[in-house]
Amino acid sequence: MTRLAQAALRRFLLLALTLWCILTIMFALFKLLPGDPTSIFVDNNMPMEMIEHQKQLWGLNDPMWLQYAHYIANMALFRFGDSFFQNQTVFEILTGKVANTCAMILPALVVSVVLGTVLGALAGWNRGGRFEQATVTTALVLHSAPSFFVGILALMVFSYQLHWLPPGGMVSLGGPEGFWPLITSRDYLLHLILPLLVLVSREITGPILLVRGAMLEIKGADFIDILRAKGLPESRILVHATRNALLPLVTYIAVMTGLLLQGQVLLEIIFAWPGIGRELVTALGDLDYPVAQGALYVMAVVILLLNLVADLLYGLIDPRSR
Amino acid sequence: MAPRGDRSSGLRLILRHPSGIAGGIVVAVFTLLAVIGPLIAPHGPFEVVYNPDHSVLRLAGPTVRAWFGTTNQGMDVFSQLLWGTRSAMLVGLLSAIGSVVIGTMIGLVAGYFGGWIDEVLMRLTDVAFGIPFLPFAMVVISITRPSLGLVILLVVSFLWRTTARVIRAQVLSLRARPFVWAARAAGAGHLRILLRHIAPNVLPLSFLYAAIGVQAGVMLEAALSFLGYGDPNAMSWGTMLNAAFQAGAMRSAWWWVLPPGLALSLFVTAIFMITRAYEELLNPRLRAI
Repeated sequence: MTRLAQAALRRFLLLALTLWCILTIMFALFKLLPGDPTSIFVDNNMPMEMIEHQKQLWGLNDPMWLQYAHYIANMALFRFGDSFFQNQTVFEILTGKVANTCAMILPALVVSVVLGTVLGALAGWNRGGRFEQATVTTALVLHSAPSFFVGILALMVFSYQLHWLPPGGMVSLGGPEGFWPLITSRDYLLHLILPLLVLVSREITGPILLVRGAMLEIKGADFIDILRAKGLPESRILVHATRNALLPLVTYIAVMTGLLLQGQVLLEIIFAWPGIGRELVTALGDLDYPVAQGALYVMAVVILLLNLVADLLYGLIDPRSR
Repeated sequence: MAPRGDRSSGLRLILRHPSGIAGGIVVAVFTLLAVIGPLIAPHGPFEVVYNPDHSVLRLAGPTVRAWFGTTNQGMDVFSQLLWGTRSAMLVGLLSAIGSVVIGTMIGLVAGYFGGWIDEVLMRLTDVAFGIPFLPFAMVVISITRPSLGLVILLVVSFLWRTTARVIRAQVLSLRARPFVWAARAAGAGHLRILLRHIAPNVLPLSFLYAAIGVQAGVMLEAALSFLGYGDPNAMSWGTMLNAAFQAGAMRSAWWWVLPPGLALSLFVTAIFMITRAYEELLNPRLRAI
């Protein structure tokens, strides 16, 4: 086995271990708590035999280890069961919500990376200048600001005071239906602007600092001198240098997506965005535990997979790490 | 790493840094407010303010009677802010201490002993890194009972991981230094080497992560409370924002939304400025950047 395959296997086992830990904690929490899980469902007037029958059906009379094994197996295979209240399987509910979340995160990711690269490259190239100072300071301050308050402020100013933009939601009432018609509509773009700005203001810091740092090193590299000796204009040299500064950014993108997802719950609540984070909050409020568990699990899996991809990409791209 | 003489003057060095001074002053003011705030607050956190004619002073803008205005239930925003400062400081301080103590100990042991101990502890750290905090904390709180203690516990169980990794890396490099060999040659035991020779050298880093921990603790508590998972009996900035958000105060009552949000932003930024100043002290290479 090559070194890389070994590292991949190791990382994958670690991912499985982490998921197993999360699932075990969840199982223990739901099981060890006092209270009968059937009580949400079962009507007081139901005859005892029927309750027993239901319990049998759900496997609640099985020994604990068997329940645990079933639980782990079902979760691992993404079989989350049915929602308590919505007439749908948890899987169906969650796929729709994940798509909506992506409709907010992916544009933010693209804008952060592209704009961050440009700003970071310019800042690194003009080292010590006023532009660099301003860019880095602004990025750091924005990054440390609590993004949910930034979101609230943005809503207060642009939606409620100036009435320029819609106050939350993914689309207006009576707007286009279905995922594709929706995300290709102008209405969706209008709703996207504010959450996009808030997300970008926080996430752009990483690309700016990374690309700037890489540029500082590349500026002194020999190939830059050669390009200059060839008589290339400064703007062309800058493009060459930036391309070489992108390396550390590639792995960071996966990490960044994970970070985006973590803070997603707050932004989806503030902007009433029907994504997976908001679904988690709603499900917990409704005591719809299958949906809540599923949402938490899906978020954990996505974040872990992204971290895995980041680690593997790092090993693939940068030969020094091998 | 700073030689011994420098360490005692760490605070003074931070205060030589302009952003360190600014951040330090803001944090000092907040700390003072956390201590004396409830004493000078004109009302209790959940106390309803009445007009002279015994009607409730509901959603009033800033007035003499209520400096920062009142909420939709007629509670005094200024008083809530002061009480909230105490909750924020309490959560920030305790979660920082808890996470740094645990993280430093795990990092010290893992880095110093190496081998399977290191392997086990570091895999544990990796697992902790894979848990998405907010969703996980929400699920835990919703099936148990929300309290300030539980929030602190959750924040600690989330924050220790970074400290553990950083301290371990530092210990790995310290362990190989001549002064550790010298101590071992002189017959010092593991415990003595760890506590007398290695621990003092990682303390500056621990302090840095404690400061970051205060910031993260305050922020996470605010986020959880904002989502409605805070302690219902303790007033905090997040609880205020939650109530304001639920009541639609963004539309009508700016005086209710801005104080907790600005206090949170100001505090978090102040700590950030201190940590930047402190990092530059620990790592002079950053100064050039």
